Amino acid sequence: MSTSGTSGTSKTDPPVDPRGVRFAAALTTVVLALVLLSGSGWLLAAQGVVFALGAFAGMRFSPYSVLFRSLVARRLGPPSEREDAAPVRFSQLVGFVFAVAGTVGFFTGLTVLGIIATAFALVAAFLNAAFGFCLGCEMYALIVRLRQSVNKQGATA
Amino acid sequence: MLVVALALATAIGFVLRARNGKLRTGGAATGGWALTGAAPAPDQRVLLLQLSSPVCTPCRQTAALLTELAGREPRIVHREVDVADRPDVARELDVMRTPTVVAFDRAGVELLRVSGVPRTSELETALAGQLASQ
Repeated sequence: MSTSGTSGTSKTDPPVDPRGVRFAAALTTVVLALVLLSGSGWLLAAQGVVFALGAFAGMRFSPYSVLFRSLVARRLGPPSEREDAAPVRFSQLVGFVFAVAGTVGFFTGLTVLGIIATAFALVAAFLNAAFGFCLGCEMYALIVRLRQSVNKQGATA
Repeated sequence: MLVVALALATAIGFVLRARNGKLRTGGAATGGWALTGAAPAPDQRVLLLQLSSPVCTPCRQTAALLTELAGREPRIVHREVDVADRPDVARELDVMRTPTVVAFDRAGVELLRVSGVPRTSELETALAGQLASQ
C-alpha cells in the first residue's frame, strides 16, 4: 500500500539540487517580469525554449541549471538534500504550455492572451522562488483528478 | 500588470504558507479504512491516510514523520497512497493538494485533515482523545 517515488520520468533523471531549482525559478521570475514590462513576444519565446529544454530534455539541460552549476553551486558547496527531478520537469512543462500560449498571443495581436499567460507563469515562478512552493506539484492531485474525469478508466501514469 | 501579478503571487504564497500543516476539522468523509482495503486490527484506533503525488518533496518529509509517529504509537496506522495510482481516493476525499493527510477514527469517519507537512505534536494532541477511547 505504501507507495512513493513511482511513475513518470523520475527513474531516468538524476535528483536535482533544490537550490538550483529556486535559482532557476528566480531567473524565470525576472525574465517573465521583463516580458510583462516590455510586451516582448521574442523574450517570452526564449523563455519558452528554456522551459522546453527543462521539460523535454531534463533539468540538467536547462540553461538556468547550467548557469547555477557553473557559477553558484561551487561557492555553496554540496547540497544537504536532493529532490526528485520529476516534479520539477512537470513544472517546466506547465511553464512551457503557458509560454507557448503567451507567445502566440503576442505574435498574433492577442496581447491580452500574451499578458495573462505570462502573468500566470510569473505567479507560479515567483511562488517557487520566494516561497519554495512548486505550484504544479501541489496541484498534481487536482490535475490527476481532472485527467481521470476526462479519461474514465483512470489509466494514468 | 506586473505589480498585480506579484501582489497576487505573494497573497497566494502567504495563504498556502498559513494553511501548511494546519489541522482542519469539519470534514465528513467516511470509509477511510475501506479505501486502504484493510479493516483496523483490534488495537488500532486512528488511520492517517496520506495522499501523495509521485515524489513531491514535502510528501516524503510527511511520510517520514508519520512513519515515525506510527512506529512509536501502535494505535495509529499510517498508510500512503499515490494519487497517480489512486485518483479515486483523491476524488473520494476531495483532495486537491499533496501532501494531504486525512485522519479517520476506528469507524472510518474523518476526524481532521492537514495539507502540507503536519506538526506531529499538534497531531498527537488532537488525536489524544481518540487514542484513549475504547
